[in-house]
Amino acid sequence: MGKPTDLVQGTLDLLILKTVALEPAHGWAIAQRIRQVSKDVLLVNQGALYPALHRLEQNGWIKAEWGESENNRKAKYYALTKAGKKYMQKEEANWLRLSAAIGLVLKIG
Amino acid sequence: MRWFDKLRMGTRALFRHGAVERELDEEMRFHIERQVSENLAAGMSALEARRAAMIEFGGVESMKEEVRETRESNWIHDFVQDLRYAGRMLRNSPGFAAIAILTLALGIGANTAIFSVVNATLLKPLPFRSPEKVVALWQTESAPGSYPLTGEDYLGWKAENRTFESMSLYSWPSHSNVTAGSVPEGATVVRTEANFFTLLGVSPLVGRTFASGEDHNGGAHVALLSYPFWKSRFAASRDVLNQTISLNGEWYQVIGVMPAWYRTPAEAELWVPLDMSKKNLGMRGSHSWRAIGRVKQGVTIEQARADLKTIAEDYQKQFPDNNRDVDAIVTPMREDLVGDFSTQILIMFGAVGLVLLIACANVANLLLARSTSRQREIAVRSALGAGRGRLVRQLLTESVLLSLAGGLFGVAIAFAGVAILRAELPDTVPQPNPLAVDLAPLLFTFLVCLGVGVLFGLTPAVQSSLVDCGNALQSRGAVGASATRRGRWLRNALVACEIALSLALLAGAGLLLRTFAHLRSTDIGVRGEHVLTAAVRLPEKQYKTLDQGTEFFDRLVAKLESSPGVRAAAIASKLPLRGGTNGYIQIPGQQTDSMSGPLVEFSSVSADYFHAMGIPLLEGRELSKEDFEVTAALIREEVAADKAGQDLKELAKKYVLPAVINQTMAKTFWPKEDPLGKTYQNWVAFRVVGVVGDVKQSRVRDKAMPETYRALAWDMGEPSRPFSIVVQGAGAPGEATNAIRAAVQSLDPNLALFSVRSMPQILAESMQDTSYEAVLLGTMAALALILASVGTYGVMSYVVGQRTNEIGIRMALGARPVEIMAMVLREVFSVVGAGIVVGLIGSIAGSKVMKDLVVGVAPFDPATYVGVSLLLALVAVTACYMPVRRAMRVDPVLALRYE
Repeated sequence: MGKPTDLVQGTLDLLILKTVALEPAHGWAIAQRIRQVSKDVLLVNQGALYPALHRLEQNGWIKAEWGESENNRKAKYYALTKAGKKYMQKEEANWLRLSAAIGLVLKIG
Repeated sequence: MRWFDKLRMGTRALFRHGAVERELDEEMRFHIERQVSENLAAGMSALEARRAAMIEFGGVESMKEEVRETRESNWIHDFVQDLRYAGRMLRNSPGFAAIAILTLALGIGANTAIFSVVNATLLKPLPFRSPEKVVALWQTESAPGSYPLTGEDYLGWKAENRTFESMSLYSWPSHSNVTAGSVPEGATVVRTEANFFTLLGVSPLVGRTFASGEDHNGGAHVALLSYPFWKSRFAASRDVLNQTISLNGEWYQVIGVMPAWYRTPAEAELWVPLDMSKKNLGMRGSHSWRAIGRVKQGVTIEQARADLKTIAEDYQKQFPDNNRDVDAIVTPMREDLVGDFSTQILIMFGAVGLVLLIACANVANLLLARSTSRQREIAVRSALGAGRGRLVRQLLTESVLLSLAGGLFGVAIAFAGVAILRAELPDTVPQPNPLAVDLAPLLFTFLVCLGVGVLFGLTPAVQSSLVDCGNALQSRGAVGASATRRGRWLRNALVACEIALSLALLAGAGLLLRTFAHLRSTDIGVRGEHVLTAAVRLPEKQYKTLDQGTEFFDRLVAKLESSPGVRAAAIASKLPLRGGTNGYIQIPGQQTDSMSGPLVEFSSVSADYFHAMGIPLLEGRELSKEDFEVTAALIREEVAADKAGQDLKELAKKYVLPAVINQTMAKTFWPKEDPLGKTYQNWVAFRVVGVVGDVKQSRVRDKAMPETYRALAWDMGEPSRPFSIVVQGAGAPGEATNAIRAAVQSLDPNLALFSVRSMPQILAESMQDTSYEAVLLGTMAALALILASVGTYGVMSYVVGQRTNEIGIRMALGARPVEIMAMVLREVFSVVGAGIVVGLIGSIAGSKVMKDLVVGVAPFDPATYVGVSLLLALVAVTACYMPVRRAMRVDPVLALRYE
């Protein structure tokens, strides 16, 4: 399996940030939530999820903390940082602008 | 905050590596378990739920690796991990590591040491001011060769030339009695014109060099010390400038010390000003002095040469008696200093280059053999998620670690090697620059080895990309057949190259060893096993006349002969193999083209010389007491006539002196006649009274020259020149040495003994060059042989190991051990044979370079080449013996299972 392209990777980053912006979540929950919210359209592969989470943490956009999970197990919870929020807003605006632009182009036909 | 968080996480990843890894595991486990419980909730069975979760999650290890890759600090961590891993790998195969490191160390170390010598002598500029402008000056004569300058010609050249900034004259080294303190000792002294060191542009370490004018009026009594002399006699004290030393009974003020690195030109322990008066420099026709010159800026050496040639041609017309064939020779200084040695040094350099190539081939081979056996390991690693870059980095670390270790030992070997060379290099090898470990070649050889290590260390990574992972894993023992075949071809070629290169080195060393053996077995014409020699020099002040000199030496010989442990004692003007004085003679009734006949060696000896030296008398008689008296009578008259300014020609006509000649002289001048009673002319007439056996006068490898022996009194007109004492001892050499020392001291406590040497020592010294070359080249050949056998062993044990499976099958199917052996040996011989053939062709083609170094053996001596070929074949077969035996002992059942 090849690595996701930059666009897809950037998109995954945005989805993760958006998800943890609501409340801190662990990896499994993040994947589940993206799947549910997208009505099973977006399936996040674990092989991409964890490297992305660690990369975001490395960049300081999210931070991790160990906490109790819903089934009383220790789990690593990721939460959005201030810098992450700024980055997310910027990326979100970018994305909306881009998708609107693509939408315009698609409407022509 | 971000950079701070990053830093915190980075350092945490690096230093709390275990904790971070545990957390990662924990996180993954949580994810999978959460999925399992979800699957259970969806109604799956426990086993199914776990399986589904695992499949959904995918490769845990490869994902973890990808997570690790995101960490910024991981290159350090990877490096540490790689290093640890590489260290473990090397520790696990200590044989491989030791051989590879040793190979590298020897290659790097030996190369650097020898290259340092080449650099110091041939490549580095001479340590003088504008060294390219400094030349050596010589003259030609009717006989071929370079001759020292005559004083008058030099003064003429110096005054009339238009191309030289300056010129400087200097003497040959002479032994002198030097007293610096209380005990007289022998020291070599060179007299130079005052501007000598100024011309070279060499500054003294302490004090000053000669001032202009110090070479006038007999020369000022000032002395410059060499660094070793200063260190040994004055304990390197700065106070030395207030000291005086006694030189042959005269006092000299110390004015300076030369730096430690200064050796040539004018190598000596002490320098004093040369008396530049015309009287001291001598007449035209008497070639006595050495000279250097500095060509003007903007003038080429060719122009300077042409300039001096014009002057020399002018003199040929002006002074036809003496200068008929005298021309000027102008040689760049470096050529003058190292000319004769450049061939030898370059051969050594070539040999070292070959050793480096062999070392590289060996390392390449070792790594290649290893890489094939590691293919599975690499495949496993990449299947577990190690990225290509990560693998390359790890293999690189291993190679670099290996090369670094080799380099480290190599540096140690280089320093040790240079130290040994500095101590052991014969004095005859010119060392214009101080010998030290050079950084550049060290770096160069190290980089070459590193390059080879990296190149061949990476082959597993390259091969793993050529071979499909799954394939490599499945095919188990018989790893990727095509890659193996290519690898085997390369390895065999490398071994063949090693064998070929080793053969060239062995052949060279073999030729030198045979030369050495030939020289050792050459008869130099004396029975010198128990002969001890020493030199003395009578101070001019006390010993002015022939009678004073004769009296001293007569008493000395008498004293020595009555000493215990002395069988015979004699005095001579020179010794065998130590060079000497020679000149031309005229023979009545024969073509007397004065200067084109063979040169004749002149010796003056005391009565018992032939007995003491063990030179056989072949015809006639030795010199008698009467012979000494008639010779002494002439010399007394000559000295008196010279003082009175009378014509010496008339005096010479009155005398016919007796002389003994050697066999070669008899054969050369009277080939079909009885030489006894024949006469020759050399100022006076000499009548041959006896013929003795030939003695080698300068080098063992040269033929003996014609030589004539005269009564010692012939040279006693000037009793202060150095004479040699020859003692035939009965017991230990030490006993004879003490006897000589005691006898000399009892006659004159101010006399020092120089050059105390036994005849065997003189013989060994005269062959120092050859023995040194033979030892050096022999060492390198031995090194090559070891490396080549290690290489052959490595490859053969690998090849046989790979074929254990096949051998097992063959043996199970009934092949006899002999057949298996034959099969393996066929492969060995094809590789070794190819190497030997290539090596023979190469070294016979290259044998021309050896022709100046070998004596008594042809440069393509068949015995040597056959011998070294057999030796190599034997070594190669021995190297295979162990692996083959191992393979044949294997139980066929085990071999079949062998993976």
